[in-house]
Formats: sequence, structure tokens, C-alpha cells
Amino acid sequence: LFFDPEGPLQVQIINFNFKTVQVTWNSSGSPGANLTFSYSFRPNEGDSSCPEYILEDGHTVGCVLQAEGDGILSFSIRRGTRPLLAKSQWISSYLKPDPPGDLTFRWHEEAVTVTCSELPHKSLLYEIQYKSTFDPEWQAEEGRSCNVSIPGLDPDKCYFFRARARTMEAAYGPDTYPSDWSEVAHQQRGRRRDSCQEQRLFPRFVLIS
Amino acid sequence: YDFTDCNFAKIEEEYQNVIFLALKEYMNGIKSTQFNHTVYCGDRPSCLTEIERLTFKSSQCLSLAKKIVTATNATLNSHCPGHSGIQINNTQAMKKRKKREVTTNKCLTQVSNLIELWRYFSRSQ
Amino acid sequence: GESGYAQNGDFEDAELDDYSFSCYSQLEVDGPQHLLSCAFEDPDVNSTNLEFEICEGLLEVKCLNFSKLQETYFIKTKKFLLIGDSTICVKLGGKHITCQKMNIVKRVKPEAPFDVKVIYREEANEFVVTFNTSHLQKKYVKDLLHEVVYRLEKNENDWMHVNISSTKLTLLQRKLQPNAMYEIKVRSIPNTNYFEGFWSEWSPSSHFRTPENNSGKMD
Repeated sequence: LFFDPEGPLQVQIINFNFKTVQVTWNSSGSPGANLTFSYSFRPNEGDSSCPEYILEDGHTVGCVLQAEGDGILSFSIRRGTRPLLAKSQWISSYLKPDPPGDLTFRWHEEAVTVTCSELPHKSLLYEIQYKSTFDPEWQAEEGRSCNVSIPGLDPDKCYFFRARARTMEAAYGPDTYPSDWSEVAHQQRGRRRDSCQEQRLFPRFVLIS
Repeated sequence: YDFTDCNFAKIEEEYQNVIFLALKEYMNGIKSTQFNHTVYCGDRPSCLTEIERLTFKSSQCLSLAKKIVTATNATLNSHCPGHSGIQINNTQAMKKRKKREVTTNKCLTQVSNLIELWRYFSRSQ
Repeated sequence: GESGYAQNGDFEDAELDDYSFSCYSQLEVDGPQHLLSCAFEDPDVNSTNLEFEICEGLLEVKCLNFSKLQETYFIKTKKFLLIGDSTICVKLGGKHITCQKMNIVKRVKPEAPFDVKVIYREEANEFVVTFNTSHLQKKYVKDLLHEVVYRLEKNENDWMHVNISSTKLTLLQRKLQPNAMYEIKVRSIPNTNYFEGFWSEWSPSSHFRTPENNSGKMD
């Protein structure tokens, strides 16, 4: 979330997979006012006005615009003619990748290699979460490509799997968003299942060392 | 200097594992998104051109961040044929200036733009 | 590995002992301080007047001298640049006897894992092995490969091996002998293409006993 520390305007930017950019604002300083948004992706070009406002109770609270590649978005938000905020930001800093798709599984004894369709952006991390019906929580493995091996599984058990993409901080910064999770896939004895029956878990843990 | 023939993969490795942490240390928890970004680069060679300018030539800010300057100098000299970079030897002078300067807003803006350039360099193909 | 080379002509005639040496680094071993340790390959070298020095690949200084503790020479500092090669030399009376060019980030020896625990999950017929590593809190060498080995206590060298990158592993009960005492331990090695190096020391061993029989039945 991007805050404008001094001004009354709190702004959030989300770059949806470099397709669209959503800028929303919360103007505690001028409630109910119809603020206007203008922007440009090229410094020497004139500003464009917002192509699609987001409205709430009849007044503007955000703007959705088409992304134009990996570049700097310069925008300003005005109340009438008075600028409340003017900013220039790399839209990559607010990337929310699409979820990875097409999970595939290759079992070999007590391990499985999970792959999924990678996104076109570089420097992403792919997180695979999995749990058996005996596990109360998801466990995670991560890789720089969507080809992650998970050892120590019991093929006889039924497992849930899901995947998502995250950005590497060195390449995108700390303000990005993880993708949504992929569809959950179920696997047992090396084959896809429609679902896994949840165990009624009364875990009896015995610490023996 | 034309950075076209540099070994970008090696530079990216050294950026992600060392320079990135030095830049992050300099910002001391302040996010680069709090500043305006006005320096653009569209491909790896032009990113390195802007990175060299902001790191070595533009002002005294980075005298505070010896690690950024020394590391960037080392990586460009190692992986860009014929790039000689700058001589890092004024240790004493550096120490005196360090005491007087504080991380000004102007320097934070400059380093935040430097961070964004490195980020673009790192994620471009 | 790198080969040493004599630096100064005065020594050419003297019958040179074998002064080859090896080094390993431990990054952020004490807060932000790194540690570089070197020792002669030949334990019989008379190291009384020998000194070690490192030059290049340093921050704000050209060279640093090693300290000495018994037969190990070491430097604890924050001044490693962690980019590019350094030159490490053995000196006698201020003169270089032999030098090696090496890159500190390619000689990392992680700290040993610790706190190995084994929990038996009866309803799932499995043992959950967990352990800890100080590298999770580090900035530089965060990604490690861990080798988990376990054996029946009575079988001297019959270790089973599993390599993992997380700090949790599941062992299936049916793959273990019932009513038996097992020993388990872990070690780590850098797992990135930038920081490379050597296996850590082994963690302290942990022991666990398997239940009488494979009573559990899963549907």
C-alpha cells in the first residue's frame, strides 16, 4: 500500500500482470469530493485523463487504466483544479502476477515433482503449497522456476496442492502482491483425484527425541 | 562507455546477492516508492549507463555508502570489457565527509532512483 | 583449486616447504561480521614465524592481516566486499612466500544445523523431522541444501540420505523397522549459484525409537 505521508490522500496501486493498473484513493481530507485522475507513461507526452473511473456512492475513488509495458507511471489527482497529489512510480513496484496454471505431477517413490505454466515475467518465485489429509496446515516449497521437487511424501495418502507466483524483492521491490492461488489439485497414488476426504484430526504428537 | 558487451548475467548475480543488500541498507527501511522516479532505462546497457552516472558522477551522496560505490565499481570493472571505473582510495577524505553529512532527502531520492534502475536491470531479459 | 605461486626471487634457492593452504569463509557469523579461516594443508609445517595477509576484494582498505589461534589463521571483519577475487598470501619476515587467488563467496562453510526433533504422528503413520539453522536469519547465505541422514543405531555405516531445502521432512513408518532405535543428524551446504562452498559440520545427533508394530491402517 502506498501512503502519501503528508497529504490527506492515501493511494493504493495494483499492477495486474502488466495488463491493467488500478489506482485507488481514500481522501479522508475531502470526503465525498469528485477527484479527477490524469496520467502519462511518457514524460514528454501530455497527460491523459482517466479512461475508467471506479465510483463509490457516486463519487470517484479510483481509476483503471491500460498498462503500457514496464515503465514509469506519472499521475496526478486533483480536486477541481487543485492538485492533491502528483507522483511518478515504476508500475513494476506494484505488480500482482496472474496465478500460474496447469499444475502437473511426476511421482517417483516418496517424492513428487510439481510443475506449472510459468509467467512471462522474469525474477519470479513459484511457491508450491501442499498438505495431506493428516496435515493441519499447508506446507511450502519454493523455486525460481515452476519445477519444484517435494521429498518425504506418502503416495498412499491423498494430497492437496496449489501454486502461486511471487516477485523477487531485488527485481521488483517490497510493495508487490503475490498472485492469487491456482486451483487446488488433488493427488493420490500418483493419480489425480477430484477431492480428498478431510480427516477428523485429533493429532496425537509424541515427541520422542 | 558502451555497456553492450558486459556479462549481464554475472552483473545481475552480484547485484542480487550483494549490491541489492547494500542499497537496502542505505535506505534504512525507507521505501523507494516514497520518492518520485524520474530516471528511466529501457534495456540493460542503458540501465548500466544510468547506474554508472547516478553512482559515480552525480553527487557526493554516495560517499556515505562506500559499499555501494565499491561494489558497483568492482562488478562493472570485472564484467565490462575495458571498463576501468573510478579509483577508490580517498579513505581519509571519505571519513571526514562522512561525519558532516546526513542522509539528505535529496540523497534518498537519488538512491531510490538508483534502486529502481537496478531493479529494472535485474528483471529485464 | 587455485595453485600457490612464490612471490619473491630471494626464496627461489631455499628448499621450500609445502606451504599450500586452504581457507573457508563463514558470512555474518557474528552479527554483520564475517569470518575467514585458513590453515596449511600439511599439519607438520613449522608455522612459527609465518603470517597470512589478504588483499583486494575489501572495503575501504587494501589489505588485512590475519590473527592466529594455534594452527589456524583467521580474520573477523565486515570489510569483505563479497564481489570478485582476493589474494591471500603467506608471509615470512614481511616477504610473500606463496599466494593464492580465491573468491570468498565460493568458499562458504555454513554453520551446522541444530535442534533436530522427531515427532511421531500415529494417525498418519509417519515421523516428522524438524531442525533449525541460523542461516534463516542471515542476509547473504540464506539458501542452503540440507542433507538428512538416519540409520539404525546398530548398523554402523548403513545411513539413509535425503536432501531437502526446507527444514522439515517426513519419514514413513512403513519404511522403518518396528521397535528399533534410530540415529538422525543433518548438515548443510550453500545452495545458490553465487554463494558456494563446503558442507557444514554435522548437527548433534538425535535418537528416536519406532513403535512396536505397524499398527496404523490408513483408509
